[in-house]
Amino acid sequence: MASIELRELTKYYKQASTTVKAVDGINLTVEAGEFISIVGRSGSGKTTTLDLLGLLLRPTSGQILFDGIDTGKLRDGARAQLRGKKLGFVFQDFNLLPGLNAIQNVMLPLRYTKNGKDGKERAANLLEEVGLKDRMHHRPDQMSGGEKQRVAIARSLINRPSLVLGDEATGEVDSETSQQIVSLMRRMNREHGVTFILVTHDTDVAAQTDRVIRLKDGKVLSDVRAQTDQTFLTSIDLQGVIA
Amino acid sequence: MEIIRNLTRRKLRNTLTISGIVIGVLALVTMGAMAEKFNALIDGGVAYFGGNIQVGAAGSSAFGGGSVLTLSTVSQVQQVNGVAAAFPEIQVDAKPGQSSGFSFGLPDYITAYDPRANDYSTVKTTFAQGRDVTSSGEVVLGSDFAVEFKKKAGDTIALPIRPPDAKADFVNHSFAVVGVLNKTQTGPDTGAFINLKDAQMLLQDSLPSAIRDRIDTTTLITGMTVYGKPGVNLDNLSDTINNQVSGVKATKPSTIVNSFKSGGAIFTAITTGAALLALIVGGLSVINTMLMAVTERVREIGLKKAVGARIGHIMREYVLEAVVIGAIGGTVGLLLGWGVTSLVNAATASANLTLFLVTWRLVIIAILFSVGLGAAAGIIPAFRASRMDPVQALRAA
Repeated sequence: MASIELRELTKYYKQASTTVKAVDGINLTVEAGEFISIVGRSGSGKTTTLDLLGLLLRPTSGQILFDGIDTGKLRDGARAQLRGKKLGFVFQDFNLLPGLNAIQNVMLPLRYTKNGKDGKERAANLLEEVGLKDRMHHRPDQMSGGEKQRVAIARSLINRPSLVLGDEATGEVDSETSQQIVSLMRRMNREHGVTFILVTHDTDVAAQTDRVIRLKDGKVLSDVRAQTDQTFLTSIDLQGVIA
Repeated sequence: MEIIRNLTRRKLRNTLTISGIVIGVLALVTMGAMAEKFNALIDGGVAYFGGNIQVGAAGSSAFGGGSVLTLSTVSQVQQVNGVAAAFPEIQVDAKPGQSSGFSFGLPDYITAYDPRANDYSTVKTTFAQGRDVTSSGEVVLGSDFAVEFKKKAGDTIALPIRPPDAKADFVNHSFAVVGVLNKTQTGPDTGAFINLKDAQMLLQDSLPSAIRDRIDTTTLITGMTVYGKPGVNLDNLSDTINNQVSGVKATKPSTIVNSFKSGGAIFTAITTGAALLALIVGGLSVINTMLMAVTERVREIGLKKAVGARIGHIMREYVLEAVVIGAIGGTVGLLLGWGVTSLVNAATASANLTLFLVTWRLVIIAILFSVGLGAAAGIIPAFRASRMDPVQALRAA
């Protein structure tokens, strides 16, 4: 069963007298456990698509189905609940709370999902998995960019979500750290069976995913898959995909 | 814990905001303590005068007013149907000729006192030290009176107190202090209680020397306190006394009680109104601080919404933070207010000038008000935070 389905999804914005079609009739099916990147130029609609997938925005028309549930019919409170339990987010600039240490930041989503049983133990395990066993009690200002992003990845997984959305998740780190971050997400994808959808400008990041969806003017321009689970997309596959 | 961490992130700003609440609560506590002191006196007066009938000479005021009655009038009043007991009264100034200055209490007074009246009175006095007066030359002091003149059971005191500019004919007498009463927060605290014979002697001494030897005060009283039998309406009994005993004026208890209550209500309104103004200013500074906090934490709010926080969660977090600001300010303001009023009371006790009374009621009001103010002040910022669009909040600069 498909975990996520987008049907004729649109998101239009009014700007003065014109209508901006940020997302313009996207149809997509995402299977459980996929590791996907969404690429495209600035203004292609990839961030809006991510916001729609994250239930942070309501579409102008069309449907977003999570495990068959039409999220458009849910009220704001139920969408927030679904977001907390089924979705995880990894942002470009980490978005860690400065007053909380690493383990407290990882545990933050538990505060809103009533899913806190063994929460501290789970958070500690996740931090160990992302290689921050010795940095659990450090605050964000005591950590490097790569470490902060690993905390953010641990936080995105604390509620055992079915989908993690990455918004330029490697945009604030150097290429070596970027490589480590994507590898980590790939490992989490495989070990936890969690679907990852990464919005990125970075060809190297896209090249490490199993499926690359290219958007242009709010529409899907191409949707390329790796041949097997073990085969990453080659630079030939990506030719013309990344602007 | 996160709230405390948030408050320490902007130490100066939050300290200033909390200081605003501290000043407001300090004003509430000091002004409220003044009102409480006044109200205690009023309540004591209401309790005491609501339970008996003050009888004076016809044409006198409810509290004596200078006219005198003969002692035989007491037995006439006692004959009136419905009267349980009538006790003669002679009241003289404790500090004749001396201005009592500003005081929330009654000025110091000396009064004839029959210990049996305590069985009827609604304001019961108890002893902190010693015993009741049993013979002439003995005095029981009210608690403030004893503190003012630094006397305890076993000491002696010359009554009335000699004023600094005493006239040549001023006379006073030495009394043995046989007891000191516990504090009542009302009338008895500033009294000195002697027997009727001694009071008649002091009444005679208080007369101008030209007429002093020509008047026999052993048959005179300045008034009496009358207690009704159980179930008797005292206002009606006052009318009966006025109708059946000539030359007396019995004042209805309700008349005295109403005059006390109206005075108390006006004073309470003025003092609490002034304090509330100060608190509202403090509340506005909480609103300002919390609005700034919301503006600074836009991305945090966006993140929290992204990870599942609902409107109620965000509202609760911000209101709670404002409540903590209010509670900290309220606690510090209360402690400061308690300290200031205690210091002022201690400094002015020797001048019979007890201005403040910090009651549990006032403590609870101050805490509830500061917490409630914090909560109310937090609602607008919390509402703004909770309604924030998560997409815009997450990508705010």
